[in-house]
Amino acid sequence: MILLTTIARVADGLPLAASIQEDEQSGRDLQPYHSQAKQLLRKLTAQSPDRCTLEAEDMNFHYLMAQGVCYLCLCENSFPKKLAFAYLEDLHNEFYDQYRRKVSSATRPYSFIEFDTYIQKAKKTYIDSRTRRNLGSIHSELQDVQRIMVANIEDVLQRGESLSALDTKASNLSSLSKKYRSDAKYLNTRSTYAKVAAVAVFFITLIIYLRFWWL
Amino acid sequence: MSTAGFNSQNGTGSGQVYANGPSQNPPALQQLPGVGYGMTHQQTYNPMQAKVPAPPGPGLYPFGAHQPVAPVSSYQTGQTLSSYTAPPSQSLLTRPPLGTPPSHTPPQSASPSPGPRLPPAQGTPPPPPVSSNSYYPNPQQQQQQQQQQQQQQQQQPQPQQPPPPPMAQPWQYNTAPPPVGPPTSMTAPPRGPVANHVNPASSLTVPPPPSSAAYVSAPPGQQLRSAAQPSVPGMPPSSLHPYAQPGSAPPPVNPMAPHSYQTGIAPYVGAPPAMKPTPPPTGLPVARATPPPPKADAQCGAALNSVQSPTEPDSQEGDIECPGAVAGNGPPASNSYNHVDNTMAVPPQPGPPGRHLGHYPSLPPGYQNTSAPPNATSTAHPAIQSATQPYTHAAQRYQQPPAGPGPAQLSPSLAAMSLQSSTPEALRVVNLLQERNLLPTGPISAPTPCLPQDLQKINCSPEVFRCTLTSIPQNQSLLSKAKMPLGLLLHPFKDLSQLPVVTSSTIVRCRSCRTYINPFVSFLDQRRWKCNLCYRVNDVPEEFMYNPVSRSYGEPHKRPEVQNATIEFIAPSEYMLRPPQPAVYLFVLDVSHNALETGYLNVFCQSLLDNINALPGDSRTKVGFITFDSTIHFYNLQEGLSQPQMLIVSDIEDIFLPTPDSLLVNLNECKELVQDLLKSLPTLFEKTMETQSALGPALQAAFKLLSPTGGRMSVFQTQLPNLGVGALQSREDPNQRASAKDIQHLSPATDFYKKLALDCSGQQVAVDLFLLSARYCDLASLGCISRYSAGSVYYYPSYHHQHNPAQVERFQKDLKRYLTRKIGFEAVMRIRCTKGLSIHTFHGNFFVRSTDLLSLPNVNPDAGFAVQMSIEENLDDMQVVSFQAALLYTSSKGERRIRVHTLCLPVVNSMSDIFAGADVQAIAGLLACMAVDRSVSASLSDARDAMTNAAIDSLMSYRQSVLTIQQPGLLAPACLRLFPLYILALLKQRAFRTGTSTRLDDRVFAMCQLKYQPLVYSMLMIHPALYRVDDLTDEGALNINERTIPQPRVLQLSVEKLSREAAFLMDAGTVMYLWIGRNCNPNFLTQVLGVPSYAAVPDNLYLLPELDTAESQRTRAFIGWLKDQRPFFPSLHVIRDESQLKASFMQNMIEDRTESALSYYEFLLHLQQQISK
Repeated sequence: MILLTTIARVADGLPLAASIQEDEQSGRDLQPYHSQAKQLLRKLTAQSPDRCTLEAEDMNFHYLMAQGVCYLCLCENSFPKKLAFAYLEDLHNEFYDQYRRKVSSATRPYSFIEFDTYIQKAKKTYIDSRTRRNLGSIHSELQDVQRIMVANIEDVLQRGESLSALDTKASNLSSLSKKYRSDAKYLNTRSTYAKVAAVAVFFITLIIYLRFWWL
Repeated sequence: MSTAGFNSQNGTGSGQVYANGPSQNPPALQQLPGVGYGMTHQQTYNPMQAKVPAPPGPGLYPFGAHQPVAPVSSYQTGQTLSSYTAPPSQSLLTRPPLGTPPSHTPPQSASPSPGPRLPPAQGTPPPPPVSSNSYYPNPQQQQQQQQQQQQQQQQQPQPQQPPPPPMAQPWQYNTAPPPVGPPTSMTAPPRGPVANHVNPASSLTVPPPPSSAAYVSAPPGQQLRSAAQPSVPGMPPSSLHPYAQPGSAPPPVNPMAPHSYQTGIAPYVGAPPAMKPTPPPTGLPVARATPPPPKADAQCGAALNSVQSPTEPDSQEGDIECPGAVAGNGPPASNSYNHVDNTMAVPPQPGPPGRHLGHYPSLPPGYQNTSAPPNATSTAHPAIQSATQPYTHAAQRYQQPPAGPGPAQLSPSLAAMSLQSSTPEALRVVNLLQERNLLPTGPISAPTPCLPQDLQKINCSPEVFRCTLTSIPQNQSLLSKAKMPLGLLLHPFKDLSQLPVVTSSTIVRCRSCRTYINPFVSFLDQRRWKCNLCYRVNDVPEEFMYNPVSRSYGEPHKRPEVQNATIEFIAPSEYMLRPPQPAVYLFVLDVSHNALETGYLNVFCQSLLDNINALPGDSRTKVGFITFDSTIHFYNLQEGLSQPQMLIVSDIEDIFLPTPDSLLVNLNECKELVQDLLKSLPTLFEKTMETQSALGPALQAAFKLLSPTGGRMSVFQTQLPNLGVGALQSREDPNQRASAKDIQHLSPATDFYKKLALDCSGQQVAVDLFLLSARYCDLASLGCISRYSAGSVYYYPSYHHQHNPAQVERFQKDLKRYLTRKIGFEAVMRIRCTKGLSIHTFHGNFFVRSTDLLSLPNVNPDAGFAVQMSIEENLDDMQVVSFQAALLYTSSKGERRIRVHTLCLPVVNSMSDIFAGADVQAIAGLLACMAVDRSVSASLSDARDAMTNAAIDSLMSYRQSVLTIQQPGLLAPACLRLFPLYILALLKQRAFRTGTSTRLDDRVFAMCQLKYQPLVYSMLMIHPALYRVDDLTDEGALNINERTIPQPRVLQLSVEKLSREAAFLMDAGTVMYLWIGRNCNPNFLTQVLGVPSYAAVPDNLYLLPELDTAESQRTRAFIGWLKDQRPFFPSLHVIRDESQLKASFMQNMIEDRTESALSYYEFLLHLQQQISK
């Protein structure tokens, strides 16, 4: 079951087209996934892996990036990965055909929302198990699907945050060590004073002793 | 200052709350399972509730987004500290965005917080000794008048005496309560909006006002009286009401000279000089004439003093700052706008806005006279002495009959005096009992708020945004004293010919109140702007520095956002919670026997076939059809089928969709199937004998079908639904229509439709209802489905394809407009206003999702809205207030857009200014909305009383607090002169009339229209326009698209205006009557109607023949022009004396007496009596 499909520009995460999810039929609240998808699209850069599957609870996000456009879909995790990528591949071919020139000049969000019509149709083909058999290509072309990286959506979304957490920890550490250093210095000087004082007392007593007992 | 309070509020992470702006999330709504909807409509409206910070689940809403409504405690937190320099910035806040703002900040001008223009407190000048006895202003000169008055007063009681006790009683009773009674106990607008009309709960607790009772009992008296007179209704006997004689000109000897001479009616030409002695002789004029005003004004009383003081330095400031302009401008004016004005409007124009005149602190009287001609021509009533300067420019707007001899002819000293005390035209006193021809001859335009020219130039058009009071009172007590309703009337999605559209990735908004940047914000410098609603200082983002229009950098104040009060933004993706939905249209059609009998299905299918390519949308547009009788029929239109497939669901108890998809199909891909279906649909059910109607289940099915996407559902219904959920029973007793004292069943019989509508609203589905029925359909219940889902209601009583061709044509034309007009999906509208004001009640079709957020699943260009406001905090330190309506919607092309309208109005602190700024049409429109609510929540008679009292209260308040000399008669300021007429018209409107047989559905439909239609159209429903059309000429004609459109005068709605020798056109909004007099000019008959004689005029003529004569062309051009001006199609009926429709024509003759209602003059007398009690 493909629940959500979004096509976005990688450079700035601007959504270009999407298919409206049908809440009622899936009987599920997709809103949190929707916002996750939005965040994800914003985080993705040209340096991110081209194809990736991200696990989010009992759902999987699959995305494919090509020619500066990212195709993202949300599926139940029971949905075959192969099929999902075949679907994204299909979208890419069609979308690239139709809009490749206009992608860079799009300014408003969902400029190519009319592509939704095609998405819906493609979705129908891939979901339907009867027509699925006809898609023989899936078996042959996507052998490399095993190599697709799998990661957890939380990790991806929070990658930045964990780095910053590390950063704060490190800075905490350094400030703590600084404090330790100053404390240690202080202690050192204190102990030095104590030693000097002890020696001084000893000598004074010695002098007094010599003065009064020897002389 | 209070601004600091906002600072502190900002600190509390407001960014998060507002992150979504107006795009309230539908899911958030869904997350409140029953709670949100459980809040009943009224509760949501409840102003008290509005103040509660946390209704159920407020965290989900950007609830506090709107400052004035939200918990306000934070205002008080930082009273004393202010994080930025307050005084200079304050002086800026009303300023237009200028190139170099800082240079315009005179330190003194703003500090003492004056009103924008300080009407030198004419509200309360020391009453001159002469005027202490209000009825005898000047013994010598008004003796005659006084006698007349006495005569008149005697005349009034006279008719009461002949009839026995029952009649004397009401009159006696009327006089019994002390004069204070009505205002305090009454359902007065000032408190009215809050306690009275609006809030059902509180209105229930209010004991029935005594005077309303008095009024209720009055009509019998009137009736008796009228019965006693052997008079034809509509022609008041001349003995009783001398003024009402058919001649209609003022009586030859007008007893009340002082009032009427100002209008310049011929008989009084000689009056003004004679009357001069009457003004209060000393205090004010003298004080003003003396050069150093503050000192002199001190004599005039404390109020004046306090107001005056800041003006002096200010005007000096103006002198210093721009001497050149001053020289050109004549004496500089007195308020703090001036120097701005002067610098902006450098060319020395002879007639700057009147504000600049009339107040000349530094000039001797003689000089004033010569230097200020504009004022000299304005009509002035010396007796009133009211506030003044601001309104002189308004004088030209009220085109009264030529002004009488101006005071310019008088001796210089007198003229000087009258100059200072010059009354703006809007405030000219009109004695309604004496001046008959008050109706302007052309269309009435909205009053212009009294703002500096540069602000006024960019202000929002009154067609879109209108306020009942164009000058906002400074505080609630002033508003309560004025006893006028304060509210806004909006037409936010109006089709506009020019609309600037801005595309930018960031939309600049205030960080604390989320106001969109608008022309009325002030730029502190290049980098910061100050919100005009909450006064927070915001940064100007980098992008905003670049102006795409002029392609220049560094001029944020030249951006289109800051140059246009109405603007549209293309919203970035933050304003979307889901991808923009496609345009989805679902048609739900009644195909029972009754429906087929009316023959509407043919018309509908044909119209849709004709317009199928004009449906707004893109390649994603979807359509679907459902028909129903006792079962529900779906149509599978899947691509690839050879013909549409009908699926019947007979289980109406538990409705389900027979197939998940392909019921709603892509229009582009399945157009042929859809066309096939439309062609076969009328024949499909031709022979049906099914009489039952399962509307409820059909609506449920339609809702299920639409809920995944949202969209528009158009329901066509021809009878009372009587099967399944939502079945209704007939509640109307036809015999009671005329006789019933109070109208029952104005509220819905079941909440099924409301609940379903709220579900629809949550899923972005709007339901439009077309009701075509000859019999009672319980529109009061059915209408809820459209009301709460922001749909619209169309009603075609007695629709039949053969018997009622006029209705068929109307239906056809309406459908065409309906199918092809612009549409916005998944919309929300938020109305913000300057802090201190708060909105407490909304009128129109929508669901109030949070305190100030209206959920509009669909928005169409023909929808109007009204809101009522109250003043929560004093607006002392403000010179202007602003209102902003932001409508976020998805266009049919899948673009998310935000349309923003901003209106700016001045704040005033004197009663006379408030009255001068009253917009009588807007007031009437708002009162109508309030009265509809009132009749549903309380009773019709209650609503009627409330309307009457509204007129009484405001006129009384005018008399008490503005007029300094109490004169006899029913006095009203010129701007309110039509107020009693409109109130009477409302009382006689189909929605509120009693005593005449009115079908319940007709009445309820009229109520729906009053609430839902934009003001322009509802005004026609309230007060139709009457034109004489047999002598149309090209004189003064308009020329539009090379067509000449004659402009006949608007006549009063009185039979006395009709003549047998002529033909008249009455334009009542949805219907037009062309009345042909018995002896009508044969030329007109042959040239326009194409019939040889009067007798040959056919009975049911509803179309003018297209004859090739000049007369015919003129008439058709005029009628066509009238029709083009409105979005719905008015049907035209040509009627003769014998026609059946003559009765409804005559019912619109509002100024005449009917069996059950007062004539205009009687109504005025009634008002006068209530007021002078």
